[in-house]
Amino acid sequence: MLTKRQNLMEVMKGGNPDRFVNQYEFMEIILEAPMDLPLAPAPGTRVKNKWGITFDWPADQIGSFPMHDDEHKVLKDITNWKETVKAPSVFYTDEEWAAAVAHANSVDRNDKFVTAFCAPGIFEMTHHLMSMEDSLMALYEEPEAMKELIDYVVEYELAYAKECIEHIHPDALFHHDDWGSQISTFISPAMFDEFILPAYKKVYGYWKANGVELIVHHSDSYAATLVPEMIEMGIDIWQGVMTTNNVPELIKKYGGQITFMGDIDSGRVDFPGWTRELIYADAKKACEECGKLYFIPNLSQGLNISSFPGVYEATSDVIDQLSKEMF
Amino acid sequence: MSKIEEVKAKVEAGKSKLVPGLVQEALDEGSAPAEILQAMVDSMSVVGDKFSSGEIFVPEMLIAAKAMSKGVEVLKPLMAGDGSTSLGTCIIGTVAGDLHDIGKNLVSMMIESAGFDMVDLGVDVPADTFVKAIKDNSNVKLVACSGLLTTTMPALKEAVATVKAAYPDMKVIVGGAPVTPEYAAEVGADGYAPDAGSAAVKAKELATA
Repeated sequence: MLTKRQNLMEVMKGGNPDRFVNQYEFMEIILEAPMDLPLAPAPGTRVKNKWGITFDWPADQIGSFPMHDDEHKVLKDITNWKETVKAPSVFYTDEEWAAAVAHANSVDRNDKFVTAFCAPGIFEMTHHLMSMEDSLMALYEEPEAMKELIDYVVEYELAYAKECIEHIHPDALFHHDDWGSQISTFISPAMFDEFILPAYKKVYGYWKANGVELIVHHSDSYAATLVPEMIEMGIDIWQGVMTTNNVPELIKKYGGQITFMGDIDSGRVDFPGWTRELIYADAKKACEECGKLYFIPNLSQGLNISSFPGVYEATSDVIDQLSKEMF
Repeated sequence: MSKIEEVKAKVEAGKSKLVPGLVQEALDEGSAPAEILQAMVDSMSVVGDKFSSGEIFVPEMLIAAKAMSKGVEVLKPLMAGDGSTSLGTCIIGTVAGDLHDIGKNLVSMMIESAGFDMVDLGVDVPADTFVKAIKDNSNVKLVACSGLLTTTMPALKEAVATVKAAYPDMKVIVGGAPVTPEYAAEVGADGYAPDAGSAAVKAKELATA
């Protein structure tokens, strides 16, 4: 039986996997690494992160949101970004890194990839700072200022990457940045090429030049039209790929250059009335249509969790069953 | 190209800095305010169609709407009290339990561009608040309810039912990622739209039916 890592490599290179890669099993994500997460920690909490962005998680909701009313929006005028936006330090003490280092050291790297985690993404950071509407309009109205702001975020990411690599020597990077709604990308491929692609070529290029073998990028959205860019920027696995992308077609077109992880939409199966039968139906369809190569069946959620208790575990159980039925 | 045609072209291209001056020039040439407004509404209709077909994306729609809004600012003092140009008032909000506002904001912008006066109730709106807003505002022709989460679809159903119980003839349109035409029909909505461009078309259709 192949290790989780070996099995993944067989899937990615079009070889002979002995089962489906089961969701996030190949990644040991080092979430203890000190970082500035774009989240309020729990329902009913509100926090301001080190960029000054306030995140609110109302008690009855399933996630946290950046706040953009007049009182909370960090960047109200993109042309003033240099005066307004201050990146936090990427330097943390050895004590602050200790738990992450211990976790990384405990991982059998023959079995799993020690995985660094980065969120929010570069595009997300722009709209967390200034709201989605303002950031998208600024791409047209103040393109030079937006490029400068993006460069600034890139410099921050590179500096953080250096620290992370030095401390935990990751084999993989799991990086978030949502680039679309469920049915469309937020911006055109041409605009993506101008603003976002160069930024990620720098960031992902740096991680890869410093020992990271695998770049896993999360975007639980439609982004089929950006797959060539994903390949160009060095993404090995697109996690969160939703059914609206027509994953079987993408595999036919791009399999061998990139692997697709998802095709089980969390929105369809992860809700209070979830059942194993519903998960099985969607997972079976995904596995049958996408096949055994260049595909990892997975919920579209951006971590190895679910919004409602038991859904992630039930999905893993279903995928194990499908491996027995189909391999 | 006539000034009014230039206004149309520049709204569509999202030239918000140029549109106010062109609107003024069109007025100076003798075009009626209502005629210029209609030209901008027509431009936004083209923008909505292009968005629905995937030809343009959210930034292009946003800057076009901003350009139109800058043009409308020039016209407003000349059209004050002239209700003949409005299609009526539309109440819009994201239903209770749901904080997503981007899709709702885009829909609001496009319905406004189609000629409605908008009352935006924001996000996490209880069903009763939609009813109160109908009572508190004049000439309400349409209620638009948005929901992005599978978990808040029951709240969408409740919002439609509450509005219909209080105002049986009120037109209600629903939308959001998990909403399908079938679900819209099932919950008793009068209309459904898959995106902001189509929402404006549907809103106009319902309000003028």
